[in-house]
Amino acid sequence: METTRRKRQSLLSRIMNPKYIMVYATIGIFLIIYLFGAINYADKGFLTLRTLIISMFTENAYYGISAVGMTMVLITGGIDLSVGAVSSLTGMLIAYGVAKLGLHPLLCLAFALVIGVGLGALMGAAIHYLNVPPFIMTLTGMFLTRGVCSLISRESIEIHNDLIDALAGFKIYIKWWNEEGEWAKIKPICYINFNLLLFLIMIIIGTILLQKTRFGRNVYAIGGNEQSAKLMGLPVARTKILVYAFNGFCSVLAGFAYVLYVKSGWNLALQGGELEVITCAVIGGTLMTGGVGYMIGTLFGVLLKSAIPAIITFNGNLLSWWGKIATGALLLLFIFIQRVVVLYSDRKKQE
Amino acid sequence: MKKKAFDLSALTRSKITWAVVAEVLILLVCFIIRPDFFSISIQPTTGVLYGSLIDIVNRSAEISIIAMGMTLAIALGGTDLSVGALVAVSGAMALKLMRWDVLEYITPGDYSVKPFWMAILFPLITCTLMGLFNGFLIAKGGMQPFIATLILMVSGRGIAQILTDGKQFTTMYSPFRVIGQGNLGPIPMPIVIMAVVCICMGLFVRKTAFGTFVESVGVNRSASRLSGISSDAVIMIVYSITGFLSGIAGLIYSSRIMSNDSNNAGINYEMDAILAVVIGGTAMTGGKFSLVGTLIGSIIIRTIVTFVYYFGIVAEATMAFKALIIAVVIILQSEPVREYFARRSERRASLKKS
Repeated sequence: METTRRKRQSLLSRIMNPKYIMVYATIGIFLIIYLFGAINYADKGFLTLRTLIISMFTENAYYGISAVGMTMVLITGGIDLSVGAVSSLTGMLIAYGVAKLGLHPLLCLAFALVIGVGLGALMGAAIHYLNVPPFIMTLTGMFLTRGVCSLISRESIEIHNDLIDALAGFKIYIKWWNEEGEWAKIKPICYINFNLLLFLIMIIIGTILLQKTRFGRNVYAIGGNEQSAKLMGLPVARTKILVYAFNGFCSVLAGFAYVLYVKSGWNLALQGGELEVITCAVIGGTLMTGGVGYMIGTLFGVLLKSAIPAIITFNGNLLSWWGKIATGALLLLFIFIQRVVVLYSDRKKQE
Repeated sequence: MKKKAFDLSALTRSKITWAVVAEVLILLVCFIIRPDFFSISIQPTTGVLYGSLIDIVNRSAEISIIAMGMTLAIALGGTDLSVGALVAVSGAMALKLMRWDVLEYITPGDYSVKPFWMAILFPLITCTLMGLFNGFLIAKGGMQPFIATLILMVSGRGIAQILTDGKQFTTMYSPFRVIGQGNLGPIPMPIVIMAVVCICMGLFVRKTAFGTFVESVGVNRSASRLSGISSDAVIMIVYSITGFLSGIAGLIYSSRIMSNDSNNAGINYEMDAILAVVIGGTAMTGGKFSLVGTLIGSIIIRTIVTFVYYFGIVAEATMAFKALIIAVVIILQSEPVREYFARRSERRASLKKS
């Protein structure tokens, strides 16, 4: 009897752990915004699964894929500004390889993966061994990658390839009864495409890496206090380099998803994308100071960020620029919540 | 002879030296490939100085002006990411005040709806207030500068677009043209503005105690508060200055193109300004700063761009060249490398003694 009660208490306290407050805040604010949309625009079809999946998930899947790696980098207390440029370079490499050289798209993707992961590892090594601030190092990486993109081609290159078309057209239909509820009239109401599937898989991989492996524990330890992690004998150098390499991997996959979305490569594609990705991670509850962050939060961060444009689209009268202002306001709100949470937990520790 | 040796060892340790060496190297390459690179002449029709070097300094005006403020922000241990967005806001507001309504605009010419001083003053005040907002979030809200300024960076361009209803206004108003395209005697106006800003900043920072306050807060915020410096006020003043300077840069930019371009005005300026500061030898961790170094840094950035234009390489590819040169400067400035050089020169000195 005693033991079961203790177990239950521990389960409750595990759920109410202050570490998760940020994630709850993200989910809560997403639900509020979703409810707002549902009440105001229910007649226009805001409540349907189609809106939820297509306009909130699918259209932002490439940001989400990149945000998986970014979350991990932010947890170590670093930052990576090169993600948008690396995604764009991936698009350029695939487009140039397929359209101009006639190579197989998967070969181009493999080449892009080598470059992306290599660049990430190189930046991680420079950040760790040369003690360069991550901000400056990855900024250099961003400039370099964008420059190389422009050296490949200045014009956007269209891609005509069977495999790319097949992957872009890949859809898993979700079927449901029609309004009458008759079995015979089952019809597809929405679909999950390859990008969304890739995003969900990456979220799952990220969660497993962070929560279930030694590597993930090291990532949190470095974010909490790099000096202590080093003194504890954790492989700080290896972990940091791997984190940046993994982020490069995610950005290349995000670039691939973007290629499937637009079916072309452009040297200025996803300009400013790095900030969108960072925003997704931050409103998903990842602390920029490092040490705190969850993949599930990032998932909801992507949802939350894309809920605003969806509402603006459904309203129809607002300028789309309000979306940017609203995103800024959301960031402000979340940073304030983070601040309060940190202050609260500090006070608790002192007690 | 003795003095020279002393100077040399101090020079290799100074961070500015590497920046100057890099600039001289780039200019030398330019000179070797194009011997007329250094020629400066006076344009007969307008009497304005004309030449590649003048062009480099002229075009670096916006970045130099912004980087002056950015130096202080970085010396505080922070950054200001919102400068690019503020450039857009300033331009949009100036054009909005000069062109109240598109429908009223019939013939191009000397045309201004609001008094001209308003179109200059209001954008500057707005940008200063936005900078103050950043400073307030950092000082009173206790946020990381990177995130606090990210807010205005994300929403600033939205604000600029809302100000002009998403439209792009153009103007032909000649007093406004003077800011970006005019000249004072033989010198182009942006250079004059840049010189005034640099001198004012230099005097303000070095002739008053403010520069020391900034360095002190950058090294240790709570210690300087305990020693009687109002850290919060210093932080808010610095970010207001950065906002004000971005406003000036925005006016110069929009006067160059005589229109507002909220999508492209000041894009990547925050990156360029930060790089200028870092190349100039101010550490991202805060503390000591050098305005002269920053000025050299921003001119280096512009030199690279001009260099690339000159040799017919794709304009967007400048970024790759910037990256390579920055990488070299970063590696030379990084702690392990400098320690290595210092240790080697010490070893040499001790060998000589023995």
